[in-house]
Amino acid sequence: MIQIKTKQTGKKYWRSLDQLAQTPAFMEWLHREFPSSAEEVIDGASRRNVLKLMAASFGLAGLTACRRPVEHILPNVKGVEDYIPGKPYFYATAMVHNGVAQGLLAEVNDGRPTKIEGNPEHPFSLGAANVFQQAAILGLYDPDRARSPRQDGKDVDWKVLDDALKTLSGSLGQGDGLRFLSESVTSPSFAAVQAAALAKFPKAKWIQYDAISQDEVRAGSQLAFGQQLVVRPRFDKAKVILALDSDFLGLDADTVLSVKEFSRGRKVAAETDEMSRLYVVESRFSTTGATADHRIKMRASEIKAFVSDLAAALKVGGNELKVVGQGDKKSKWIEAVAKDLGANRGKGLVVAGPRQPAAVHAMVHLINQALGNAGETVTYYKSTLEQTRPQLEAIAELAGELSKGQVSTLVILGGNPAYSAPVDLDLAANIKKVATSIYVGLDVDETAVACKWSIAEAHFLESWGDALAPDGTATIQQPMIAPLYYGRTQAEIVAALTGYKDQRPYDIVRNYWTAKFAKGDADKLWRHALHDGVIPNTTFAEVKPVVDAKKVNGAIQPAAQSASGMELVFTPNWATWDGRFANNGWLQEIPEPMSKITWDNAALVSPATAKQLGLSTHGWMVKGYKATDTEGHSDPTQAGNFVDMIQIEVDGRTLEAPVFVQPGQADGSITLALGYGRTECGHVAKGAGVNAYKLRTSKAPWIVADAKVSKIAKQYQIVQTQEHGTMEDRPLLRESTLAEYRKEPNVIKEMLEVPELVGLYGDWDYSKGNQWGMTIDLNACVGCNACTIACQAENNIPIVGKDQVNRGREMHWIRMDRYFVGDEEEPQAVMSPVPCMQCETAPCENVCPVAATTHSPEGLNDMAYNRCVGTRYCSNNCPYKVRRFNFLAWNYGTPEVEMMKFNPDVTVRMRGVMEKCTYCVQRIQETKIQAKLEGHRPIKDGEIQTACQQTCPADAIVFGNINDPNSGVSKLKKQKRNYGMLEELNTKPRTTYLAKLRNTNEELEAKHG
Amino acid sequence: MADLAVRNDPHVRPRLVEGDPSLHQVTEAVSSIIETRTPYSWWIAIAITASIAGVLKLCLGWLVYNGIGVWGNNQPIAWAWDITNFVFWIGIGHAGTLISAILFLFRQKWRTSINRFAEAMTLFAVACAGIFPLFHTGRPWRAYWLFPVPNTDLYMWPNFRSPLVWDVFAVSTYATVSALFWYVGLVPDLATIRDRAKTKGRKIAYGVLSLGWRGSARHWRNYEMAYLVLAGISTPLVLSVHSVVSFDFAASLLPGWHTTIFPPYFVAGAIFSGFAMVVTLMVVARWVFKVEHLVTMKHLENMNKIMLATGTVVGYAYASEFFIAWYSGNPYEKFTFLNRAFGPYWWAYTLMVSCNVISPQFFWFKKLRTSIPFMFVISLVVNVGMWFERFVIIGTSLHRDFMPSAWGYYHPTIIDMLTFFGTFGLFLTLFLLFLRFLPMIAVSEVKGMMATQKMHDAHLEAVAQAVEH
Amino acid sequence: MHTNTPELRDKTIYGVVAEFDQPSKLVAAGRVVHHEHGYTKLDAISPFPVHGIDDAIGVPRSILGYIIFCCGSIGFISVASLIYWAGGISYKLVIGGKPLFAWEPSIPPIFEGTILFSAFAAVFGMFAINKLPQFYHPVFNYERFGVATDDRYLLVVEASDPKFDIVDTQRLLESLGAKHTEVVEA
Repeated sequence: MIQIKTKQTGKKYWRSLDQLAQTPAFMEWLHREFPSSAEEVIDGASRRNVLKLMAASFGLAGLTACRRPVEHILPNVKGVEDYIPGKPYFYATAMVHNGVAQGLLAEVNDGRPTKIEGNPEHPFSLGAANVFQQAAILGLYDPDRARSPRQDGKDVDWKVLDDALKTLSGSLGQGDGLRFLSESVTSPSFAAVQAAALAKFPKAKWIQYDAISQDEVRAGSQLAFGQQLVVRPRFDKAKVILALDSDFLGLDADTVLSVKEFSRGRKVAAETDEMSRLYVVESRFSTTGATADHRIKMRASEIKAFVSDLAAALKVGGNELKVVGQGDKKSKWIEAVAKDLGANRGKGLVVAGPRQPAAVHAMVHLINQALGNAGETVTYYKSTLEQTRPQLEAIAELAGELSKGQVSTLVILGGNPAYSAPVDLDLAANIKKVATSIYVGLDVDETAVACKWSIAEAHFLESWGDALAPDGTATIQQPMIAPLYYGRTQAEIVAALTGYKDQRPYDIVRNYWTAKFAKGDADKLWRHALHDGVIPNTTFAEVKPVVDAKKVNGAIQPAAQSASGMELVFTPNWATWDGRFANNGWLQEIPEPMSKITWDNAALVSPATAKQLGLSTHGWMVKGYKATDTEGHSDPTQAGNFVDMIQIEVDGRTLEAPVFVQPGQADGSITLALGYGRTECGHVAKGAGVNAYKLRTSKAPWIVADAKVSKIAKQYQIVQTQEHGTMEDRPLLRESTLAEYRKEPNVIKEMLEVPELVGLYGDWDYSKGNQWGMTIDLNACVGCNACTIACQAENNIPIVGKDQVNRGREMHWIRMDRYFVGDEEEPQAVMSPVPCMQCETAPCENVCPVAATTHSPEGLNDMAYNRCVGTRYCSNNCPYKVRRFNFLAWNYGTPEVEMMKFNPDVTVRMRGVMEKCTYCVQRIQETKIQAKLEGHRPIKDGEIQTACQQTCPADAIVFGNINDPNSGVSKLKKQKRNYGMLEELNTKPRTTYLAKLRNTNEELEAKHG
Repeated sequence: MADLAVRNDPHVRPRLVEGDPSLHQVTEAVSSIIETRTPYSWWIAIAITASIAGVLKLCLGWLVYNGIGVWGNNQPIAWAWDITNFVFWIGIGHAGTLISAILFLFRQKWRTSINRFAEAMTLFAVACAGIFPLFHTGRPWRAYWLFPVPNTDLYMWPNFRSPLVWDVFAVSTYATVSALFWYVGLVPDLATIRDRAKTKGRKIAYGVLSLGWRGSARHWRNYEMAYLVLAGISTPLVLSVHSVVSFDFAASLLPGWHTTIFPPYFVAGAIFSGFAMVVTLMVVARWVFKVEHLVTMKHLENMNKIMLATGTVVGYAYASEFFIAWYSGNPYEKFTFLNRAFGPYWWAYTLMVSCNVISPQFFWFKKLRTSIPFMFVISLVVNVGMWFERFVIIGTSLHRDFMPSAWGYYHPTIIDMLTFFGTFGLFLTLFLLFLRFLPMIAVSEVKGMMATQKMHDAHLEAVAQAVEH
Repeated sequence: MHTNTPELRDKTIYGVVAEFDQPSKLVAAGRVVHHEHGYTKLDAISPFPVHGIDDAIGVPRSILGYIIFCCGSIGFISVASLIYWAGGISYKLVIGGKPLFAWEPSIPPIFEGTILFSAFAAVFGMFAINKLPQFYHPVFNYERFGVATDDRYLLVVEASDPKFDIVDTQRLLESLGAKHTEVVEA
């Protein structure tokens, strides 16, 4: 049914949607699909349904047709050059995230980008991609995006804008009162435009500001080296790693490379293999902390003291080791870590998170240098795009000028500062004071509303550009599709305003680079650059700086800590980052890795702090069947997930936020994610979470030393995809220590004693042909969710909205399990994706009355959607609970523009049918057909990659033919760490797990029994 | 009551028909119910029940229009009230055939006064039950794929390994056979009504329904053979149906479902709830229609005894489940049962045990088991308990199984509740129609039974005289 | 007591019906008529099965049992072969690594199929042997036929019986205690 619909509307689509939107047929269909009354009864104010309804009804305006870019771009396909309808092509491009670029490949089906993959040839991707990159496809087709220029809130024609810009640029003179406000400029060609602009208007100023800024990192480098350097840790080379409030495997990772490299150091094939050791000190329980071998929770504001003590223990800092109360946990920790680092000179690595003050970063540099790690496990580059001015200072100054009315023309290039700038600067109000304010942005957001002019920006998949990886490697950002709404790039607008020599984005980028290339073969090099997605020899110059120990020691003197006050720490988040992805349903619905919350942010507090504040404490570590644990924590499953709310006050500004009790959170420290509580936003973002920016001042952008917190008489419903925190002592996700594993490699298998399992009938013969199997390495997995979203994009998996998630109907084929282990005081966590296990003796198949799910000769647990009648018996009988049911028509009324995201190789399921992971059977078939065309050649190992495997930054997922003894997966399955989840049920799962090993330090062993 | 003295006399067994009416009076008593003018009370009653049935229709329409999401079902609780209601109704639908078949084979004469009534109840209960397997599917318009018909678009057959397919066979067979059994029993009585009919319309209607039955010795000869065989095959059938229903659970691998005790346990439960429902309805009907002399206290008492027996069997089943969970040493089993009794659904479990195991124990006391109001209350309590038994088995086993990461909780929606409520409307509507247009007591069987009882009485008198001399 | 009248003789006669008020009397009368006087074309009509009437008037044993057995067997075989054919021949599917056909899971459907076929045979077989539905039968012409489905018992001697005599037969029946006898037209 839905397939047919897609086709019909698809056909109409290529004509004009405006037309289509008017046709009575469509209107009739529209109303049939969304009886507004139905929406309420079915699932209250489900955000997803509202989106469906609204977007489908007005989401069609302005969109005319899907057009290929007019300029010549090059496919990154081997062999075939000319286009074959229905055959997807992969183009190299790049996405800028957290101030740096990561190379990507975009899969384009018939002119529609449908899937993002990492670019294997890009040094900071190596084929992997993170959640934000995976979800970019949905961002591109977001029906709520800005669709035209707006003047004073009214849509105007592009012509009107162009004229306005022309007249404006004439009237700018020397550039008095002209201000540009952009995010960090990471594009060389754009930097050129910027330089030209400032040259033409000498009196103008250009301010760069990121909500998630690297100010402290830069300042730290300035302090330590007297110059700004890019720090490049090499986690694969390090044997001992200490992360100080640094979530380098999660939110603080600018590219996926840190995970990639770290996981290399964690792969254990033979018992004798070496493995790196990770210590983590942090206030929030991050995925990095969960991966750590030893973790200690600590208020973010105490890290400074900690690092100076460590320095003292290492005898690198001048000052004495003054840990009060010898033998307490902290000092024992410091000693052990110091000893370990000391013993691994040149093989150790200390990193600090961007929230930590400059002094901490500086001291970290000093320690790394003192331990001889500098140049070994950490190297330094001199950036060509350095920002000498602290961003906060710059934007504060701008705010001052605005309020004094010294600014006549303000050009804001992305970043939504009206929402994300420090609240004390009151930018939203100040912008209104400017005569001419222009905003270039993807959405009609808070800033767009504040400005006189707002201009629809082109999505990065629509626009020409270039950007630099952390080490300076340049990538050309190719458009996959002409701007759906005629959006403009930032460079384009500035060029128009300042009369830059090149006006079209393509010329701006191409001419910049071809000028750099050797004259003769500029064209060839340009084509190579497009094809590979990497421009050779563009890396920054590596430098070997020397730390000014005196200055660092002077700066580190820890100020007296008021341990009494409640600390408030701001972080970016996994869904909306700094708020920019708020309207992206895939990201909104992906569970936050540690708390498993979706569609919201919450103030994270430790159980102890919750008690202290008199809050109801959900026992996320409640064990057993009981409704509450000994402490009286209630199991959230039964509490209906209603949590208390608190009021947080910072310098007189208050915010009401729901509280979430998070084991492993530092006592007396509250973590609150930025990027929620958007007001001017699309329909997905509406009502999601609370806006932490309301408490974020320029004085304390990251860590508020003492916030006033009080419980208020309100409750809030927090929705999670996983509510029970403990494993109930079941050997589901198995872990051991490296030492034990070396002593007794069978320790993993022995975690479960099963009598010999015999079936009633003989086993089916799977010894012939390709037999697909998978392994998931818990040692590598950092629970980053990239696999889940990659799967969602590849397999056309719908989102269901907060209310439906609350009803337990989320559709993710890969459930990212997170279990707490150890004690509630210092808990550890183990995480793993759980897809369909493709059991050889699949319990689901036996019970399906209509044989809708059966076994393929290649050992796949196939699902015939058009045969399914939806008894849901299979789900009941699936011990892994990995089957997902279309309780409602999730896909009906997907807006036309959003339908472009669908993968044409995968059925879009209708309501009433069951669905599940199939090892990306469409990819398997595609490769098999290819192999057949090439003379029935055997399929090479690694030739087929499942979506989750391809994107996994940790290479934790390996898929292949288990009949081929030399395939990667077969080798892994031979490991002693290999085990099948719930194998005692004799389901013979094809997906098996490699147990997690913690490389513990004997001296701290006692801590975690 | 007139014959209290007789009943208390140890020598004399209480009579199955009281007041010693003539055969003609029996015919009158039963036939007149459907020959007199329709009372207003009936119209009012059916108006109410029919509108409740209308609610059911609306709910199902809404369900088909929007999808299963209008119910509270979720992952992991993919089956909830839908299958609970199915098992609940199909269980109630067991008393009828049991009475007509098994008691017939055991020559339990007392069955004759209530079997017609109970069979009708069976049919209507099965009709209500049948709704749920159909509408709980995500795509009900495809549900016919469960039947062994080569469907036109996929040329596939059902998977005969699936207990759900067994269900389809068992339930449809049960419904058909029960209907046939019921009709066969009706034919002679319909002939009686036909011969008493005054108006042309009734003559034709009942004439057609009674197929021209004329009670010839040859008819009776084959009739009795057919009836005996039907009873013979219905006995294993009635036992098989709930066994097969229990396979839906027993054949899975879910802790709390995967249990060998299920078939007998379910059958006992079914008989238990079935008799409870018969008592509920009979207590009302015999009073309303003044047939206390045909459906006597002995009938009710016997049914209460059966409830006592089966209720105790069910209690034993609960206990043995727990024992095995502990004795097996299977951690998942152990957890499931502890969770069932003390976990989030402890209230449902407590309700189930007190209603099903404790309440019938009162029937040990003759005073209580012969008290009309008391047995009425207990019969209601028992059916509440039996509904909860099914919910506990389905809900608590599903909501926390192997993977703690996938644990959940179930909240019914208003549609869930109204759907279940509506089935009672359908059930009662059908029942009212039955009471209005068909003889609620098997007249010919009662007469046959009375004839033999007369001989028995004659014998008793002889004995009595012998004692005197 | 109108008997051998000319107008009766001209009409075609179905037989004589005698009405009794006790099942025992019916059985006694039947025995006399059948065994002592050798009448063979007899029928007895009663509101419920009267025991002993069958051998009294010589009703043969019912053959229904054999029919039911045959149909039951057909049910067994057809369902069993359907399952075997569907899963093992027509559309082979690997399901849960189980064999294409096995007896264990096939037992419930086969059992139910057998029951269903038997039940149909029992009911419709019975109707067939009893020649039902049959909406006209001469015995219905007996004006007081209604009592036969209430509380009276009829003994019918058909005119086709070689020993039938419109006068003697009627007298004989009256002598056996019939409350009322009547000649019934065909």
